[in-house]
Amino acid sequence: MTATVMVAAAAWVVLTSVAHVVPASRFPAPLDVLHAGRQLATSGYAGATIWGHVATSLGTVIGAFAVAGAAGTLLGILMGSSRRFEAFVNPVFLLLRPIPPLAWIPLAIVWFGIGVQSKIFVVSLAAFVPAAINSYTGVRSIDPALIAAARVHGASSRVVLGEVLIPGALPMIFTGLRISLQASWAALVAAELVGAVAGLGHVMTSAAYDIYPGMVLYAMLWVGGLGATTSLALAALERRAIPWARR
Amino acid sequence: MGAALNGDGRVRAALAVAGSALFLSVWWLAAAAPHANALFLPSPVAVAVAFARFVHEPFANATLPQHLAASFGRFALGFALAVSVAIPLGLAMGWSRRVDDVVTPLFEAVRYVAPIAWLPFAVLWFGTGIGGPTMIIFAGVFPACLVNAYRGARFVDPVLLEAARTLGAGNRRMLVEVMFPAALPTIVAGLRIGAGSGWQSLIGAELIIVSSGIGYAMVQAQSSLETPIVISTMLAIGAVGAGIDVLLRSLERRLSRWRPTPEQRTTPS
Amino acid sequence: MSSIVFHQVSRSFDRGRNRVAALAAVSLAVAEREFVAVVGPSGCGKTTLLRMAAGLDQPTSGTVEVGGRQVRGPGPERAVVFQQFALFPWKTVRQNIEFGLKCIGRPAGERKATVERYLVLMGLEGRGAAYPHELSGGMQQRVALARSYAVDPAVLLMDEPFGALDAQTRIVMQEELVRISRLSPRTVLFVTHSVDEAVYLADRVVVMTSRPGGIREIIDVATVRNADGWHRFNMEDVMDRDAFVHLRTHAWKLLRDPAYRAATPIPEYLAS
Repeated sequence: MTATVMVAAAAWVVLTSVAHVVPASRFPAPLDVLHAGRQLATSGYAGATIWGHVATSLGTVIGAFAVAGAAGTLLGILMGSSRRFEAFVNPVFLLLRPIPPLAWIPLAIVWFGIGVQSKIFVVSLAAFVPAAINSYTGVRSIDPALIAAARVHGASSRVVLGEVLIPGALPMIFTGLRISLQASWAALVAAELVGAVAGLGHVMTSAAYDIYPGMVLYAMLWVGGLGATTSLALAALERRAIPWARR
Repeated sequence: MGAALNGDGRVRAALAVAGSALFLSVWWLAAAAPHANALFLPSPVAVAVAFARFVHEPFANATLPQHLAASFGRFALGFALAVSVAIPLGLAMGWSRRVDDVVTPLFEAVRYVAPIAWLPFAVLWFGTGIGGPTMIIFAGVFPACLVNAYRGARFVDPVLLEAARTLGAGNRRMLVEVMFPAALPTIVAGLRIGAGSGWQSLIGAELIIVSSGIGYAMVQAQSSLETPIVISTMLAIGAVGAGIDVLLRSLERRLSRWRPTPEQRTTPS
Repeated sequence: MSSIVFHQVSRSFDRGRNRVAALAAVSLAVAEREFVAVVGPSGCGKTTLLRMAAGLDQPTSGTVEVGGRQVRGPGPERAVVFQQFALFPWKTVRQNIEFGLKCIGRPAGERKATVERYLVLMGLEGRGAAYPHELSGGMQQRVALARSYAVDPAVLLMDEPFGALDAQTRIVMQEELVRISRLSPRTVLFVTHSVDEAVYLADRVVVMTSRPGGIREIIDVATVRNADGWHRFNMEDVMDRDAFVHLRTHAWKLLRDPAYRAATPIPEYLAS
């Protein structure tokens, strides 16, 4: 595996900086990326330094993910545990669910303009749906024998919900949250690409139009890195929340 | 859904109707309120009318079906390209550890980049040509197809591979008559997931770098504040996406007829 | 040329930091057209022996020869019948049986005829278009047997083929196997946990020990079977006969009691 990485890295350096097979306007050389990084850290680009952009992007994702992920999980649990509630909510859910979060961007811009609010709206939508679907499935797919066992012990519906359904659904709930987080990042980048005044996606768009591929790649690396970090944090949370789960 | 029309089924059907009615009423009332701005929140009726009109009358240089056709054409191209690379590559990775070792690190490095994040590079490399959206769709479809082809091939029951060998199967027959059919249901599941991701990414790309298609129409409608059309296009996008999913699900079902249910495996207990 | 010869075969595995010897210098010769059953406790290496004859595994030292040639890999002349049936779930019964015939290059017309013949032979008429998951365990194993027999292998290697079947189906299949073996005899190496099954089916029964795997004794059943005329009886009656019970008990004791010492007795009333 390290061999592949090293070969790829060597190819990158050779093709861009040594043999000049790949022109600088198409794909950045390693030095271009470093240069972009230095610029973004010191004098800034597209309206702010790296920390301003990171704060905007990361803050939006974490905030929207936390709230919408929780709300979606809650809705999914309710839909999963009550057939009647599910029947009531399902038509609207079925109508709205196939619409991709990215397709909400123009409407969000109509409603909130180009700013943080429309981004939060789109990212929230992206986080909401997978969390709802997976927590619904998690509750639904609990072995009925477990529920029967609880009832035989005299458990009320509330106890069944709290002691059986929710803990039993936690693995799938976390699966949903994992997907939600990925979807949140994707939605954020898209929203920032389309219309934003700050954030890493905005940096990428500006750099593309300025024909500054080093900056594009640098911002992409940040997005990837932040995405990976937040995913790892979520995984750590999952391990603490469900120590009993088989992995 | 599809509740049986027994007692609780009827209650649930009624609740479904009630839920839809509530949604539509709230929407309609909000749109009809005295301070409501029709540009901001058009009534459901306005949206329906705009939708119907858009089917016949062009907006942003084409009618709704024409825009959809343009988008779907791009999607089909990117999808076909991604699938024709991902499936053989995934099968090869599942078959040969060496191929797996070479490709996996490269794949893992880029796999978590959201497809839409490739857009700036798509702009740099293809400008406004067909290459840009195709690349984005490819980035959306490819990962799921590759992972599923790989898993389908790698996790074939080893005893089936041994049985084939003991009957004299050569490498080509192993791949074509054993590994590929065994992996096919998983592969098609990957197609379905990839298609959803690809369709989404296409829409995102069309918001930015093209001058035809449903995403383009949506952006045009947004900038001229034709909100009923914005909402109509959203619904159309959802419908097409759902249609693709339904088609691929039924394909998955048809190809899985031979599959044992979880209780019946090739290894009986 | 279908004899099987194991010459001083050893097989060890690395389990973590330890080297575990599954087989230690085992030698065994199976003559042409002979039916040899191997019984032994779990972990004695009997399946390993079979897999080496099949070419699915290699000895750490020693040689395995089939028909005078060293085994280098799997092939249709040494067909394997697996405990889990190993039918291709996406192929119908007919397609499964046909598979081996395609591999060895038989033309389509001949394949069709052979498949139909084996459908009848194995009692599978009318099920040719079914998928494996629609069949019972017994029927699935019949398909597996048909698939192996169809390529007319010189050697049949059977790894606890009836182990996954319920007791009654198992008996039916044992009788089937006897019937087919009489119709078209070939060299058979048959691994099983069941002493009864081994004594009923085999010409010789190899009793193995474990840790490390080795042969304790080889019991000659064919002589007794022929002298006692088992072919005259159905299975329940064979298993009721003193000669059978004697052999079976002897084998059991060899398996279970490391201190047991006795030669295979031939009952006096057979000595004539």
